[in-house]
Amino acid sequence: MTRSVPDRLLSFFSWACALSLISALFIIIGFLVLKGYKALTPELIFGDVRPLDALLLKRQVFGGLFPAMAGTFFLILLSMALALPLGLASGIYLAEFAPSGTKRVLSFLFDILSGIPSIVVGLFGFSITIFLHHYFGGRIFPCLLISALSLAFLVLPYIIRTTQIALESLPLSLRLTAPALGATKARNIFYVLLPSSLSGIISGLILAMGRCAEDTAVIMLTGAVATAGIPKSVFSGFEALPFYIYYMASEYSGPPELMKAYGAALILLILCTVLFVFSHGIKHLLRAKTQYLPNPL
Amino acid sequence: MDFQDRVFRTVFFGASVLSAGVTVAVLGFMILLSLPVLKMGFLWEVLTSPWSPGRGQFGILPMMAGTLALAFLSLLVSLPVSLGCAFFMEILHPRGAGALLKKLVHFMTAVPTVIYGFVGVFLLVPLVQEFFAYGSGMCILSASLMLGLVISPTLILFFSESFSRVPQHYLNAVDSLGGTVFQKLRHVILPQAWPGMLTGMVLAFGRAMGDTLIALMISGNAVLMPSSLLDSTRTLTAHIALIFAADFDSTEFKILFISGIVLYAMTSLGILFARYFHKRALS
Amino acid sequence: MKKNIQIRMDHLWFHYHDRVVLEDIRIEIEKNAITAISGPSGQGKSSFLMVLNRLWENIPGARVTGRVEMDFGKGFEDIHRSSLPVHRLRQRVGMVFQTPNPLPMSIYKNIAFPLTLMGEKDRAKIAFRVEAALKKAYLWDEVKDRLAENAETLSGGQQQRLCMARALAAEPTVLLLDEPTSSLDEASVRVIEDLLLELKKSCTIILVSHYMDQIQRIADHCLVLSDRRLRPDTAKGRDI
Repeated sequence: MTRSVPDRLLSFFSWACALSLISALFIIIGFLVLKGYKALTPELIFGDVRPLDALLLKRQVFGGLFPAMAGTFFLILLSMALALPLGLASGIYLAEFAPSGTKRVLSFLFDILSGIPSIVVGLFGFSITIFLHHYFGGRIFPCLLISALSLAFLVLPYIIRTTQIALESLPLSLRLTAPALGATKARNIFYVLLPSSLSGIISGLILAMGRCAEDTAVIMLTGAVATAGIPKSVFSGFEALPFYIYYMASEYSGPPELMKAYGAALILLILCTVLFVFSHGIKHLLRAKTQYLPNPL
Repeated sequence: MDFQDRVFRTVFFGASVLSAGVTVAVLGFMILLSLPVLKMGFLWEVLTSPWSPGRGQFGILPMMAGTLALAFLSLLVSLPVSLGCAFFMEILHPRGAGALLKKLVHFMTAVPTVIYGFVGVFLLVPLVQEFFAYGSGMCILSASLMLGLVISPTLILFFSESFSRVPQHYLNAVDSLGGTVFQKLRHVILPQAWPGMLTGMVLAFGRAMGDTLIALMISGNAVLMPSSLLDSTRTLTAHIALIFAADFDSTEFKILFISGIVLYAMTSLGILFARYFHKRALS
Repeated sequence: MKKNIQIRMDHLWFHYHDRVVLEDIRIEIEKNAITAISGPSGQGKSSFLMVLNRLWENIPGARVTGRVEMDFGKGFEDIHRSSLPVHRLRQRVGMVFQTPNPLPMSIYKNIAFPLTLMGEKDRAKIAFRVEAALKKAYLWDEVKDRLAENAETLSGGQQQRLCMARALAAEPTVLLLDEPTSSLDEASVRVIEDLLLELKKSCTIILVSHYMDQIQRIADHCLVLSDRRLRPDTAKGRDI
C-alpha cells in the first residue's frame, strides 16, 4: 500500500478499536449464551407447573421465572399506559403549539428530566409513597403502581422527544397540504401529521418499552421484591426480571439458583433484542419508503 | 383560532406543564424530605466529612469522590475506543463494515445494564482478581472497565454524528488539495466536530455518574476515599440503593435525600454544559 | 496533431449504480492549453472532472474503468496505479468547484493549507508562496490587509479567486475548474477569465462551462459531452 504513515496508523487504530468493541460485546453475549443456554427449558419459566395452567393462573408457579416475567410484563404495560398520553400530548404541544419562549423553558426542563439518574427517580417514587402513606392512613406501600409511575417519569422525556422530533422533521409541503384545503390545526395534526410520523413515534415508544423492561434502579426502590408471585393488584409488591438478575448475582444459594439467574439474564437479553429489532425495523420501513438515490452529478 | 383548536392547545399545554412539573417535583420532594437534616444545620458537614454512622458521622464525601472517580475513569477507558470506532464508521469505512458496526453500537444501547453488571460479576471480576492476585476483584478497575463499555455507545454515536455534520464541501476542499485522511481529520474534521464531541463526552460522563447497577454490582461498595485502582469504592447511586433498606426514621435514611440532591445537581450541571456545547455545535 | 499531450484517456467508463454516465471515452488533452467541456447539464461533466483527480472515489455507488494517463514530466503515468497515492495525484491535479468552498479558517491559512498538507514547515517560504498565489489570482491587493480574517467573510467572487489561489499554491500541473464563474457577477467573471488565460502558461486547464461566449473567449479546444460520449465540438473551427 502507498498510504502515508499517519493514515496507516489511523487505520490500524480504528480497526483495533472497532474489533475490541465488537469482541467485548460478543464476549458478553457469548458468555451468557454458553453458560445459560442449558437453563432455557420450560422448567426455568414454569417450575413444575404445566405451562397452560400457569398461563391461565390456575396454579401458582414456585421456583420458576414466570412471576418475574409477568411482573416485567405488567410493569411495561402499566408504565407505558401512564407515560404515553402525557408524553404524546407534551411532544405534540412542543412541536405544534408552543411559542418559542415556552418551548425553550419546557425543553430545558425535559432535558434535565432525561438526565436525572434512575436511582434518583426511584427515590422520588419512594418519597411519593411516603406522602401517600401518611395521607391514606398507612395503606399505601411500595408497589407495582408506584414502580410503574416512577418508570413512566423515567421514560417520559424519551417519548416527548421522539414525538417532537418525528413531527418536526415532516416536510413543510406535507404540513401545508391540509391547512390549504381548509383543515383546522387539530385536524391537520390528527389526520395528517400524526399518521405520517407514526413509524418514528412507534419506534421511539418501543425503545421506551425496552427501558422499562431493563431498568433496575427505579424498581428496587419502589416495590420490586425477590418473591411475590404474580402481582394480585397494582397495590401489591411484584417480581421483575432485571431485579431478579441483580438479586441473584449476589444472593444465589448454589449452582441451581445461579443457573436460573443465567437463564433470566438470557431471557431479558432476548426480550430487549426483540424490542430493539422491532423498533429498528419500523424505522427502517419508513426510511425505505422515502429513500431515493441522491444524484451528485 | 377555532374553538376545537383552542381546547386541544389547552389540553396539550396542561400535559406539558404536568410533565415539566415532574422535573421540579423530583427536586422539591427531595428537598422537602431532607429538610429535617438541613434544619439541623449540618449540610456542610454532610458534604465534607466521612461516613461512619457508628460515630455519628454521616458525610457523603467518600461517595461523591467515588462517583467522580468512577465516572472519570470510565470516560478515560471509553474515550479512545469510542473515538476509534467513530473514525471507523464515519471516515474510513462509511459503508459496509462501518454500517454494520453502527448497527451493533445501536444494539448495545438496548442491552440491559443489569446484564453488563451480571457478566461483570461472573466474568470480569474473577479475571481481574486472578490477574492482580489481590482482593476480591470487585474494585474501581473492574467497575470502570465495565462502565466504560456501557457508556461507549453514547460517545460513539455522538462522535459519529458530529463527524457526519462536517459540511461535505470542506471535505471536498481538503480532498481536492491532496490531503491525506489523517490531515483531513486533524485540520478540518476534528476542529469542526469538537463542540459536538464535547456534548457527547459531557452526556456520557453524566450517564456514568447516574449509573447504579455497574457500581453497585462490581465496585465492592466499601466506603473509602478512592486511592488505588484495585481499591473498592462506593458511589452515591450505590449508596442510595444500599442504605435504602435502613430504618425510615434514621438519620442515615434522611441523608439519602441529600445524596439524591447532589446527584440531581451534578447531572443537571452536566445537562447545562451539554446544552451549551450543543448550541455551539449547531451554530 | 497535438505535439504536447498532457492527458490520455482510453476506454474510460463511468458508472453510477446501474447507470452509465460516461461511455468509452477516448481523448487526448493538450498541455498548457485551456480545454473546455460543454454540454447539457446533468450529463456528467462534473463526473468527468472527478475522474481526473479520482474524487469520484468519494461518491457512493460510483465506479470507473479504463485507462487514464498523465504526463507529470516523467512520461505518461497511469493515475490508477497502486503505487501512486491518491493524495499525491491530487496535489498535482488541482480542482476548483462550482460554489466556492473556503475552509473555516483565515484567508492566510486557507492559502497556506495545501503547503501544510505537503508538510512544508519553513514559514518564510510559506509566506512567500501565499503571497505569490494570491497575486496570481489577482486577489493580493484586495486582501493583503486582512489576511487574518475568516475567509468566509469575503464576497462570492473573492472567495472563488481565493479557492483558485489555494489550488495554485500547491503549484499543480493540471487545474480542473467546474463552472467556476456560474455563481459570480459579470465583473468577477472577467477577472477570472483573464486569470485563466494567464495561468495556462504554467498549467493545463480543463474547464467545464456552459457559457458558449466564455468558451469562445478563452478556450483553445472544446469538447461536448452528450449522450454519455465526449466529442470534439465540430461547430468550432479551430479544434482537434
